[in-house]
This record gives sequence, C-alpha cells and structure tokens, in this order.
Amino acid sequence: MTVLILTGEEDVTADMVVVHLNASSVPVVRLDPADLTAGVALSGEYVHGSFRGHLSAGGRLVSVNGLRSVWVRRPGVPASRAAQSSAWLTEEASQALYGMLRGCAARWMNHPDAARRARHKPWQLRLAQRSGLPVPATLITTFPQAAREFAERFPDLVVKPVSGAHPQEPPRAVPTSRVAPDTDFGAVAYGPTLLQRRVAKRADIRLTVVGDTLLAARKATPADADPDEVDVRFATSDMPWLPTEVPPRVAAAVRTYLREAELVYGAFDFAEDADGTWWFLECNQSGQFGFIEVETGQPIARTIAEWLARPTPEDRDHVKGRRTVAP
Amino acid sequence: MQPFALNYARPAVECKATTPYVYDSGLQLNVTTDGRIAASDHALLRELGTTTSTAGSKTHFDD
Repeated sequence: MTVLILTGEEDVTADMVVVHLNASSVPVVRLDPADLTAGVALSGEYVHGSFRGHLSAGGRLVSVNGLRSVWVRRPGVPASRAAQSSAWLTEEASQALYGMLRGCAARWMNHPDAARRARHKPWQLRLAQRSGLPVPATLITTFPQAAREFAERFPDLVVKPVSGAHPQEPPRAVPTSRVAPDTDFGAVAYGPTLLQRRVAKRADIRLTVVGDTLLAARKATPADADPDEVDVRFATSDMPWLPTEVPPRVAAAVRTYLREAELVYGAFDFAEDADGTWWFLECNQSGQFGFIEVETGQPIARTIAEWLARPTPEDRDHVKGRRTVAP
Repeated sequence: MQPFALNYARPAVECKATTPYVYDSGLQLNVTTDGRIAASDHALLRELGTTTSTAGSKTHFDD
C-alpha cells in the first residue's frame, strides 16, 4: 500500500517526511497536480460495478485502490502547467483527480472538504470558542461605526486579513498590524475588516498536532520588543523556538477543535500573555512545520510519516486473511 | 476607496535566491549539487528558510 503525496517539487518540507517513509520502506508516490497531462497522468474505469484507477508520475504507476493515505501538502493548481492550460482544463483535471481519490479508502491528511472549511478564519474563531480555547475579542465588519465603537471598548487593536490571503497585483503582504488609537476607520466600508484585541504577549506558541500527538514550541518575546511588532513572521527577534509543554486544558480543547473540524493535522498559533494564558489566533490546516523541527529537534516529520504509513482497515483485513479483492 | 486592511500592506519580499538543490524525480527528493539529500541538512534548511512560515505567498494561505 502506497502513500500518495500531493505537492510541488520544490517542497523540501515534504522531503523531510519522504526521508522517513523511505527509511521505513513504505512505498511513496509524489506528484504535483499542476503537472497533470505534462508528466502526471491518470486513468480510472467504472465497469461491472467496480472501480479501477491508476496514477502515473516520474515513471511510477500506482493503483488508486492501493493507496493507504493521501497527504495533501502543497499541491499546485491542477493542470496549470499543461501545454494548453485553461480554467476549464483545471476544473476538468481537478474533478478527475480529486473525484477519483475521494472514492478510494485511503486516509487523508487532510480531507479536501475539511481543509476548505478549515481555512475560514471566522469559522476557526467560533470553533475555538466552542472548543474551550480563549479567543481575543474580535470584530469582523464593514461598518465603520462598528469599528469605532469596538475601538472604544478595546483601545489596543490589531488588524489582519480575514482570509489570510495576500493581494497579488502587485504582490503585497498584509502582516498583523497594530492600529493606532486615533485611526480613521472610514475605509472599513470598502472591505470586510478583522480587528482584534492585541494580546500583550510574552511568547508566541506554535502547536503542531499530528493525529493524537501534540508538539508545542515557544518563542519568547524579548523584554525590549517593539510593541508595534506584532506579527512573528515579520519580527526581527533572534529568540529561538524551544519545545514546551502543552497545558492539559489546552490539549483537551485542541483535540476537540480538530475532531470537530475533521482534521488530522493542524498548526495552531497562540499568543501567550503575562498570566501564561494561550490565546488562540488561528489554526492552519497545512501549516509549515519544518522550521520548528529544525530549531527544536521535535520529530514532527517522523510523526507525520508514521501517521501516513499506518495500515488501512483493508490492510488489517488482509493480515487477518479476510481480504477478497486483489490490491 | 482602498479597504482598511490594505493601509497596512507592504511589498511582498520576493525570494530571488536560487536554492542549492534540485528535485530528483527518481528519489522524489531534492538533492544538493554534491549529491546530499537537502532535507537531511538542517543547517542548510535553516540558512535558506525554505521551511519557514511566511506571509504573502502567491499560492497558499498563511502558514
């Protein structure tokens, strides 16, 4: 049984997992849906009440029914590198590939339906609340007056994109940024705006969850840190990421979150305040983990590989001699 | 008429540096010019920052 990894060639973070799968002699097929019809091929037939499908990439051929797991890591847009790429071809390729894969018995990290839903940050905030995680007071609005009133109640605010996406024409980044007290909120009318109470943090927390395994890392905020430097991705701090324990209450809430979200992988970001409370900021269902593993030595890649390599129910039936269908 | 959040936008940092490894479709891994597996070289990964959480990705949401 094979592990299918959907990601780009340049994804060296995926390599970290492939190394462990290779060491365990677990068959792997890695492909980028962007290469469909230009290096990646597929075929599936539905005949006499059964399905047989195959994928081919890099000289490897794998049966769709022979997949034990699918890791949707960083796949490109289907068929976007085809000779005659088009929006229509992308939709055709997407339906063909993901439609076939959805019909197989493989386990997903993460299932595309769950992943799509989990990208909605407003949904994340509500689920975090329901799961028992502390969430900073947040407003998402297009009403300037609502923003003004929120700023009166919570004078120390940050703003960040609702979607987490960044504008591309021209390419720009929108870091989480502190909002000055005398800010004019008139432009809130021109786009949904996410305002959130700033957490005076003493550390950033990245909690990576793989199945039942929780691996937390902590990056302390320097005592002389600029309070306007809110976004850890843009911070100039040299403080290292270090392994840290997960408070039991947080661990229980995070497990509830992932169960409700139907995710098996999640990278949670928290801000730790002076009282030691972990405030939920977001959960990225395909969050990066390589930089944490490199700095902390935590075995995230190995844990992912072990999850992907776990036998499917079909495998277990096979071991028990109950298998009736050829692989 | 610009949305409020874009008042806080900054130019995306374009990564122009070329990575000192290439994908080997036989191994399904990126390999350095001297034949080593890039993912096993944590010093290299740390130096390049290719596994780091960033903002401004063209193809993916915040990670």
